Amino acid sequence: MRGAMALLALLAAPLAFGDDPPPTPEELVKIRAANAECLSCHSEAGLKKPPKEGMDLKKLRSSLVHLDTFTASDHGQMACTKCHGDGYAEHPHAADAKDEMAECQDCHARKAMRIERQFDKSVHAENLSDTFTCKTCHNAHTMALASKLRDPHKIVAQDNKICLDCHDSDLAFAKMAPDKKKRPPIDDIHDWLPNTRLHWKAVRCVECHTPTEDKLSLSHEIQNKDKAEKKCATCHSANSSLNARLYRHLQAEEQNKYGFLNSVMLSSAYVVGATRNPTLDKALIALFIATVLGVIGHGIVRIITTRLRRSKNHD
Amino acid sequence: MTKRVFMLPLWIRLWHWSNALAIIVLSVTGISLHFSDPGLPLVEFSLAARIHNIAGVCLAVLYAGFVIGNIVSGNWWQYVPKSPGVIQRCLRQMQFYGSGIFKGEAEPFPPTPEVNFNALQAVTYWSIMYLVMPVVILSGLVFLYPQFAPATLFGLDGLLPVALVHYLGAAVILLFMVSHIYLGTMGPKVSSLFKMMFTGWYEH
Repeated sequence: MRGAMALLALLAAPLAFGDDPPPTPEELVKIRAANAECLSCHSEAGLKKPPKEGMDLKKLRSSLVHLDTFTASDHGQMACTKCHGDGYAEHPHAADAKDEMAECQDCHARKAMRIERQFDKSVHAENLSDTFTCKTCHNAHTMALASKLRDPHKIVAQDNKICLDCHDSDLAFAKMAPDKKKRPPIDDIHDWLPNTRLHWKAVRCVECHTPTEDKLSLSHEIQNKDKAEKKCATCHSANSSLNARLYRHLQAEEQNKYGFLNSVMLSSAYVVGATRNPTLDKALIALFIATVLGVIGHGIVRIITTRLRRSKNHD
Repeated sequence: MTKRVFMLPLWIRLWHWSNALAIIVLSVTGISLHFSDPGLPLVEFSLAARIHNIAGVCLAVLYAGFVIGNIVSGNWWQYVPKSPGVIQRCLRQMQFYGSGIFKGEAEPFPPTPEVNFNALQAVTYWSIMYLVMPVVILSGLVFLYPQFAPATLFGLDGLLPVALVHYLGAAVILLFMVSHIYLGTMGPKVSSLFKMMFTGWYEH
């Protein structure tokens, strides 16, 4: 049923706005001017110095947008009203403006269909299917695609913040979690992982908490500890899964720099077992084998010459 | 008739064997980590990482004990190759290993309580203990506390040079260990020097 609905949505949708070409420079000037009007209230500056009297400042405080962050985000070239609807074009906003709000799948129909299948299997769907939406994790005003951020440190910082905002805060966790579900302390449940905090700076939670079998894209099937990846060698090996995950957007531009395997990672991390130099490895292995064989050979010659000498002395 | 002469005090023997144990453990776990492969695990990665960390700290503590013990007891002097003629004596020693031993010649510079090591041993032991070991231990400690590594170096992660130095130094120690164990059979009897390392007495 759900699939049929999604299919209907796909057909009905004016083929994914998500794939729209970017606005022309003239259009962008218009969009920026219209957005500036919204931000004259919905920004820190607007909150400090409201352009109108008698505004509900408490409500305004909860709906501020940071211009630079928004501009750098995936939706940064879009008009506010594209999602928020024309009801918000004027102030005071229309009474039913909220009902006109666009949903993510209005533009991202195809993506939403694929993601929903993954999400349905996730731990979030299992426990929170009624309250959990795209927006729970993805802030449309701030998020940027990994392929756009490129720098692994930036990707990790953005993505892990999403998870940790709830999973490292009792207050935020309690807001979402089912009754009586207590937040497990994030450090304690990861204490099996050496250099825990260092891992969180270098890789994303989803590196382990999504199925690693899929090498093509990162799934929205967020898994709990029972299913999450625990084998270190999945990342820490020559055939590291990080290649297809955190570093997939950098793959094309960098391969085997200075003869290192997975050299694309070396710009931001030394990953034991993954970032190694096969030439150096081979040279050292050869040296080791030569030493062992040399020692064995020397020993054999010693045994033979000693025996020869002994039999000579007997004669 | 065998003569017995006391050569090695207890602290050196205790240090030597605990150091040997730590290095063997570190070699096995270090190889497991560096050549980590899901299909061919020598020691499972996270276990290897934990053991390697603990054994590494033990090695660092043992090394500090070794340095202090050497200073206090004056044993450090044994590691200094005594001139003149260091190179000639090294060459003489190599000649013994390369041919003399096959002809049944006697060890050219047998150990005495005053001079434990022949010139080649002194040069090698000094280099390993006072050059390679500190490098491997220090780089290992940076690995343990990577926040002390430079963030980046020439556009690459700052841990890379630390890792390379650690890997190369460890390889040198591993190669040394193989030769060291074999050269341990070069006493008057094959077992003499091993026996000495346990009892402290050199029999010849």
